Amino acid sequence: MADKKIGCYICTGCGIGDALDIAALEVVAKKEQKIPVVKNHAMLCGAEGLALIQKDMTGEGVNALVIAACSPREQGEAFRFDTRIMDRVSLRELVVWVHEQADQKDADTFEEDRNMAAGDYLTMGCMRVKKMNAPEPFQDPGFSKDILVVGGGVSGLTAAREIAKAGYKAILVEKSDALGGHVAGMHQVSASKPPYRDPQPNPIGQLIAEVEGFKSIEVIRNGDIINTAGAPGLFDVTIKTPSGDENRRVGALVVATGFKPYDPAKLGHLGHGSSPDVITGLEFEAMAKAGKIVRKSDGQPAKRVAFALCAGQRDAAHLEYCSSACCIASMKQARYVQDAYADGSAYVIFQEIRTPGQMEDFYRGAQDAGTVFIKGDIQKVATGSGGLDLEVKDKLLRSTETLQVDLLVLATGMEPNLDTQDPNVPAPVKPGPETSHTTLNLQYRQGPSLPNLKYGFADSHFICFPYETRRTGIYVAGPARRPMGIAAAMTDASGAALKAIQAVESVARGAAVHPRAGDLSYPSFRVEACTQCKRCTEECPFGAINEDDKGNPLFNPTRCRRCGTCMGACPQKIISFANYSVDMIGSMVKEVTMPEEDDEKPRVLVFCCENDAYPALDMAARNRTPLSTYVRVIPLRCMGSMSLVWIADAMSSGWDGVLLMGCRHGDDYQCHNVRGSALAEIRLSKVSETLKTLQLESARVRMIEVNIMDANVVVDKINQFVEDLSELGPNPFKEF
Amino acid sequence: MAYNLSFARKVYKNAEMGHWIKMCMQCGVCSGSCPLGPLGAWEFGPREIFQRVRAGKEEEILGSGAMWMCTSCYNCIVRCPRGLPITHIVHGLARYAVETGKVKPTQPTARFATKVFWNNIVKTGRVGEAALSMHLYFIDGIGTGISNVLEMKDVALGMLKSKRLNPIPFRGKIKGYDGFKKMLDKAFELEKK
Amino acid sequence: MTSGNAAHKTILVVGGGISGLTAALEAAEVGYEVILVEKNPYLGGRVAQHHKYFPKLCSPTCGLEINFQRIRNNPRVTFHTLTEVEKVEGSAGNYQVRLRRNPRYVNDKCTACGDCAKACEVEIANPFNFGLGKLKAIHNSHDMAFPNRFVMDAEFAKTDAAKKLVAVCPVGAIEPDMQPQMVDLTVGAVIWATGWQPYDAAKIRPYGFGSNANVTTNMRFERMSSAYGPTGGKIQRPSDGQAPASVAFIQCAGSRDHNYLPFCSRICCLASMKQATYVREQYPDAQVTLFYIDLRAMDRYEAFQKKIEADPKVEWVKSKPARIEENPANKNPIVIGEDTLTGVRYRREFDLVVLATGMEPNAALQPVPAANVPTDDYGFVVNDGGGIIAVGCAAGPLDVAGAVQSGTAAALKAIQALAQVKG
Repeated sequence: MADKKIGCYICTGCGIGDALDIAALEVVAKKEQKIPVVKNHAMLCGAEGLALIQKDMTGEGVNALVIAACSPREQGEAFRFDTRIMDRVSLRELVVWVHEQADQKDADTFEEDRNMAAGDYLTMGCMRVKKMNAPEPFQDPGFSKDILVVGGGVSGLTAAREIAKAGYKAILVEKSDALGGHVAGMHQVSASKPPYRDPQPNPIGQLIAEVEGFKSIEVIRNGDIINTAGAPGLFDVTIKTPSGDENRRVGALVVATGFKPYDPAKLGHLGHGSSPDVITGLEFEAMAKAGKIVRKSDGQPAKRVAFALCAGQRDAAHLEYCSSACCIASMKQARYVQDAYADGSAYVIFQEIRTPGQMEDFYRGAQDAGTVFIKGDIQKVATGSGGLDLEVKDKLLRSTETLQVDLLVLATGMEPNLDTQDPNVPAPVKPGPETSHTTLNLQYRQGPSLPNLKYGFADSHFICFPYETRRTGIYVAGPARRPMGIAAAMTDASGAALKAIQAVESVARGAAVHPRAGDLSYPSFRVEACTQCKRCTEECPFGAINEDDKGNPLFNPTRCRRCGTCMGACPQKIISFANYSVDMIGSMVKEVTMPEEDDEKPRVLVFCCENDAYPALDMAARNRTPLSTYVRVIPLRCMGSMSLVWIADAMSSGWDGVLLMGCRHGDDYQCHNVRGSALAEIRLSKVSETLKTLQLESARVRMIEVNIMDANVVVDKINQFVEDLSELGPNPFKEF
Repeated sequence: MAYNLSFARKVYKNAEMGHWIKMCMQCGVCSGSCPLGPLGAWEFGPREIFQRVRAGKEEEILGSGAMWMCTSCYNCIVRCPRGLPITHIVHGLARYAVETGKVKPTQPTARFATKVFWNNIVKTGRVGEAALSMHLYFIDGIGTGISNVLEMKDVALGMLKSKRLNPIPFRGKIKGYDGFKKMLDKAFELEKK
Repeated sequence: MTSGNAAHKTILVVGGGISGLTAALEAAEVGYEVILVEKNPYLGGRVAQHHKYFPKLCSPTCGLEINFQRIRNNPRVTFHTLTEVEKVEGSAGNYQVRLRRNPRYVNDKCTACGDCAKACEVEIANPFNFGLGKLKAIHNSHDMAFPNRFVMDAEFAKTDAAKKLVAVCPVGAIEPDMQPQMVDLTVGAVIWATGWQPYDAAKIRPYGFGSNANVTTNMRFERMSSAYGPTGGKIQRPSDGQAPASVAFIQCAGSRDHNYLPFCSRICCLASMKQATYVREQYPDAQVTLFYIDLRAMDRYEAFQKKIEADPKVEWVKSKPARIEENPANKNPIVIGEDTLTGVRYRREFDLVVLATGMEPNAALQPVPAANVPTDDYGFVVNDGGGIIAVGCAAGPLDVAGAVQSGTAAALKAIQALAQVKG
């Protein structure tokens, strides 16, 4: 890129020109910040204003922009220019709208304060652009767009087929010698198309045939993944097969290892083990598939069958959750009894019937076929002369009843067939062959397994982003992610396939995936200055950074999600992005002129999360909520990128206090980078020592949680902090 | 008690609309809607009748007074989320109880409906209110009959005054009684089948 | 407007709610051109009206903000609000689509400065709040509306008062004479993501919604609980504004019911449990009663149910109430029914009743304007493998995570439809 030539454009529309001294702002940009091109326009986002900027870019060689107008959250499409170096200074929201009316101050002072705020924001914007370089996308000639699918059950088969149908190559690894997983052993499946009432033929055979028919799908049976090294676009996977190890370079993975049925041996209270006629749903499927619904004890026809729902589920002593597919599966299995025997009796003993959506019709179909539904608990299972004698506490009859059946089928739940690890306990081990065997054997500093969310499932924490993954390029689908039935698993597998395709395409462009989709920047490491403290390798929420033997970081750019947590973690300031760095924010902080102590104009710095706290401030601004004119706000990519250096910079340059506004953390965290705000808080706990060495009160730095809908309180919280600071008096460093 | 599907199967097959009982999901809207409910008049609401049919409680249900209490207000039918024709099912069960001889001999509605009312209307083709009341009062013998009459006399006088009760018995037969009789005979014949 | 080069490589997404937004963004982030149309003046659909999501009790705006950022940062997504699809003809790889762009009466110059609303003296019932509360006849749809652009009420636009506002706008953005525009374009695949609307509770006659002021619906309750809603977040009785001491939630109000919506709307159990937390958080002494047929807290949502069950002030009654009366003295709703676990018939008075109304597919009310798009008996669109792909609640009742999964999967189906076309 040619030398940077910055243009600063100040919009005077939306009341900005009326409220602020534009000439003074131009002086700030031109004289103080030495910006070569400085202009103002009455409506910068209009066609004329945009043309003005465009003309300077083509004619004057302006290739970096400071646009001082409205919030960066506004007019994004309008201010889309061919440059990667741009900052938006929010004069409208953060200055004019929040400083609309003078509070208790007299009008002159208020106007002066408001202009000072505008000047400071413009100063910071200019400094940001001066420190910003155009990010160059990461490229590697070895990128692959092939996708590895782990698991050959219905989820994995679907993922492979969908990948192939979209024109990509899939490599399907199945650990056994047969495709189809649990579904292959099933007689029929539930209905997913209208009229939704009756079981349907098992589609697995056709699905297997389709997968086997694709030239672009390679199926590896009896495959065991013994090593997954690398990163998106560059994963090197070693698959052990009976005929030797196979190595594949792939761009992304879909992990569809399915579920393990809960161990029925733990269900002695439901009679398992006491009689061969107490079996699991999968065993019953096999019987129906073989056309032999008989008592295992004596081979006699099993015409009376009871289905025990929630067997070892929704139970603190067993699986705490609901496996969500068993109600429907048991209704389907009850139909096998009625289909096999005209005089067959099927009883479903349930807690709650869970047939969501159109599956309510499947429930109707089961009732219509004559299945009896009993809301109750099985209290005793005994082997009698005529079959199994059940004692059932019927909650609707309010009595204890007996029920004699030939078979008792336990609807055992799903456990993930995938090892996961606690994400909050960074793996103490270094990656390497000495780690124990896992499903993927990830060569990640943070451990060989995927992070657990809850109950061992590798799900996403986000309601709105179920495919958010904490291991970029690796997408879990089907019941390995969350308990689900066949139709849901097939949709889920298609979604995961899309995300895998999106990952390889994004990698090819050098772009980040969610939540900073399209971001071309990525951190670089000045490793020569590294002290091997390992904070970056431990704290990266996405496991992007490995370590060499000496503890130096080995960064994988395509694993990176660009949150900057590593940058915030590094005490040596060796990690920076082309357009986001410790030096950049630090320079902005230091560039702001502190008023003399006698002026009684304190300065309070607010670092806030750009995803949640910043929009909340914008909303407060829309509502013209009055904010203290002493406050200056700097949005951060994530609180996780917050460097303590900035706090030291602020304190030593005379700011009176620093407020951090991050997202909720803990169990119901809202940080889109998983632990950013939590890590910021941990870092902050160490700040008081730093402040002590500067002989400053720790109350000068505070962290609060702000939700995006906190517009009604966020300003109060900031103003309160400003007020609390006034009791501490000015920062003594102002004099230096 | 043991669950047993044999009763339910008989009901599904033989009682009018009985097969609908399979479809009940035990939400309780019928029992909540029944105007007789708050009076504590029935042993079981429709929901409980259906659950007991499915549980095989043959004697308990067919011998109960529950389905004889229905006033055909149709609130339950209108509200049933599963579309069960509850009123008809309940009447069907009542009739099934009579057919199977399971109805208790003391069940007053059963006796009234199947004997007194029936005999009265079949005889002439038209209901004679006075005779109907008298028959009902004296159904358990002369002693209870007299006390019944005395108890109801004010009501009867009131009804007479407001012309809701015709004291003169209907004589002869309705016009076209032959046709009426033919219809009844045909119905009996069909039912026997 | 034309869709530019390679029309057959463009995907049209109809509906800008969470399903449509997801489908559009996921496809665009693979590298495809996407046109997203939405009939409302803003994106975000139904979730934008929600106060919180279960089970995290976090704000839907948070996720929407990320999605809006994704749109801002992605030149491959073009979106049009106030736009409906008039007709779709053709087949996968080559669909001719006619869009109807309804007037906003405010052009693209609008900077959302708010001067017009300040000057406007006419107020209308707030559609975003289901008619609860008022807002100016020229307004921003809601506090976090995206795009952040004003819109004028269509009826108001016809008045002289509207014309007077033209001069108020400093940038000349107000155009009360704006007319609908028809736009024809060619696309390769169509994703139908028109979502749902709350079932009309007035149709459930025994529950008295509409005649009994203190019987409300779950979506209205969401708005009432939001700090940006009609009551500023105060949960109150509509009749007198008093804080309720007892609140009843009635599940399956219209759902699982052959008289109304025969299917289960899936989310209402969890939504009511979530709303129980709103009540309990705001009024620590208030009693919550939840009437249900079956509690449907699938998979790990079970933990959410357990959490609510642990609250001693939340009572659960397994019963579908038969009807609701009104106590004329205090306008309290009286819920009448049978407790199926005890067999006891109850008649219970509450300060406020919330009907957990279900999801009616918009596709049932406004069918896909194309030939041979199958639907089920309820109006949900059935995916048959063609190039018109139904997604989210247009295809069946889903929770948000399910809708996003479905949207992501639909993006792949659309891409496959395009991949089949040589070009």
